[in-house]
Amino acid sequence: MNPSLKFLLAVLIALEISFTSTWMVNLALAIIGLLIILTSRPPLKRLVLLFFVPLIPAVALAVAILLQSNAGMHFALVLFTRIYAYVFVGSAATLTTSVSDLVMSLEQNAHIPSKFAYGFLGAFDLLPKIVSEVNVIRAAGNMRGQALHIWSPQLYFKAILASLDWSENLAEAMTSHGFSEGAPRTYFKQIRVHWWDWCIMISSLLLLQIALFGLHLQ
Amino acid sequence: MATISINHLSFSYPTEDGQKPLTLADVSATFPDGGFSLLTGPSGSGKSTLMKIMSGLYPKFGGVITHGEIQLNHTPISEIPETDRGQLIAMMFQNPNQQFAMDTVERELLFTLENQCVPPSEMMSRVDRALEYVEITALRHRQLNSLSGGEKQKVALAVIIAMKADTILLDEPFASVDPVARQLLLSKLAKLQHEEHKTIIISDHDLEDYDAYIDHLFVLNGTGNSLTLLNETDAQEKMAAFQRQDTSDQQLSLPTKVDQPVITAHDLSLTAGTSTLLKQPEINFFKHHITLLTGANGTGKSTLLMALSKLHQYDGTLLLNQKEIAKIRNNQLYRQVALVFQDADQQFLNVSVAEELALSLKNSQAAAYFKERLPGFLEKLQLDHLQDHVVYTLSGGQKKKLQILEMLIMATPVLLFDEPFTGLDFSSLQTIMAIMKQVAHDCHQTMLIVSHQLFGLDALVDYHVTLANNQLQYVEGLA
Repeated sequence: MNPSLKFLLAVLIALEISFTSTWMVNLALAIIGLLIILTSRPPLKRLVLLFFVPLIPAVALAVAILLQSNAGMHFALVLFTRIYAYVFVGSAATLTTSVSDLVMSLEQNAHIPSKFAYGFLGAFDLLPKIVSEVNVIRAAGNMRGQALHIWSPQLYFKAILASLDWSENLAEAMTSHGFSEGAPRTYFKQIRVHWWDWCIMISSLLLLQIALFGLHLQ
Repeated sequence: MATISINHLSFSYPTEDGQKPLTLADVSATFPDGGFSLLTGPSGSGKSTLMKIMSGLYPKFGGVITHGEIQLNHTPISEIPETDRGQLIAMMFQNPNQQFAMDTVERELLFTLENQCVPPSEMMSRVDRALEYVEITALRHRQLNSLSGGEKQKVALAVIIAMKADTILLDEPFASVDPVARQLLLSKLAKLQHEEHKTIIISDHDLEDYDAYIDHLFVLNGTGNSLTLLNETDAQEKMAAFQRQDTSDQQLSLPTKVDQPVITAHDLSLTAGTSTLLKQPEINFFKHHITLLTGANGTGKSTLLMALSKLHQYDGTLLLNQKEIAKIRNNQLYRQVALVFQDADQQFLNVSVAEELALSLKNSQAAAYFKERLPGFLEKLQLDHLQDHVVYTLSGGQKKKLQILEMLIMATPVLLFDEPFTGLDFSSLQTIMAIMKQVAHDCHQTMLIVSHQLFGLDALVDYHVTLANNQLQYVEGLA
């Protein structure tokens, strides 16, 4: 499915279930999300994390509702399943899309300015670099007899300075390789919105409405 | 074909208080069409600044032109639309890490072609040709982050070739490139000049290896107020003065049995990503000796230094004074081992030059020794008038000198240097080596130096280790 539409669909689903309280729909969405995640063959560790990390807020919410309010079992169940629906639907969108495909689709289909698209991509590539940079800064501090703790302002000063430097370098690198803001570009990999993308999107939303209203009317 | 002419150009990086000290003052020159020009001058003279103005990056990304202009084919650079500029002029940066926007080699090339509105059907063939031209087809799908400095510069040249730029600017492109890669890049550039009539302008403070290639030698003086094209005889003279002593027949001794090892490795293996860099059954580095470590780009010299300073994981045993490095606590380890990073900016912790020096003096293991000698060192290194400057605004060469000095002041027993001599002009190089030698002797230090540049090193180092085919080995010859 087209990455932009996929993300739009995920956001719309999340929005809609935020305002409804039908735990069966939440559960169904979580299961569908999980099935889509499984098709991307994630490593076992990631799958385990996906189950356990949401468990903490989900249980906390459910317990809080049961103990502190009189909203009852039904509402606790709705909140519990809603968290899993959010996480699994969101992961189904992110785990099946590469960052560069998403960025290219946002640029070509959603027409966000290419400056933002490539800025985002650049920042994403920098993430691992930031981690190693922080280690290097701390080592550089130790080598000069200055311990930089996690709360030292100097550590952040250096990290911010390094990021500013990188962003400037990135901008210069893009310019020197012919990038110009707002100028027309061609695309090697063209990402199209096909008719079936719209079909999937519209029919998914229709099904969701039917399920929500159907269960609600009962 | 393109002619670049500089007309009475003055350029300034305005300071916080509104002053406009001139980095370049009223310089003029014409770089001949289709020629191979070399722009030289001492570190800090403004070579990089001039290159960036020619490429159109400045004043967009910094500084102001206070007077004059640069014309490309009789049109001021500022009036050429950015979208057309890539086909006219392209630049390779001094720092190989600063010139890419994408994650892989292929994507970077495609990104560039997309920017130039090349039809998608033509892109692959242009990418293929550019990679073949520089002989790096094997790197096509590699992550740019995982490439060595020399490999990155080859990719940068491939991008420029794919762009089909008429004029190619290279700003000290060989600072972190080994001699083999350097020869390859130079011969490719010469081929581009002769077969495709490209205009090539390289800036470098180091004139070694250029005489076979260049047509014109331009000299920018130390204060950035005169740019002159040398005539044939003067150019010959200048090149000859720079002619390196032949390092190939210089001999060093091998370690003797009485030497005390300070660093010992058993079955050490180092990897980067999926490739193995080093598989070493046994090696020692010896106390109170200066050891030089050389090897081609990407063989893992920097990685070894990172492993020794606990910034890169290793397998096997790596001992410092009989203790496993991975198990020594950071604050203890870094009192015994310190690394002079390849990128000087990573070393700095404060804002001004004076603050940097004060921090080192405060925590030095030989504070008294350095307190007495610091003014002399600063004067010799021509850093004495820069005390209140912000470290990040110093030129590449000045940063290197300050960085080496402040790490020497720490007087850490084992000091590792990762390409300490890049960006240093001839006289700075000699001065800094003399200071290193003196400090190593007086403070009983052990030094391990990774360097591509070998000039004058025979006077500094005791031993030479080469890294090739995943193995470290002591050798007698310097080259």
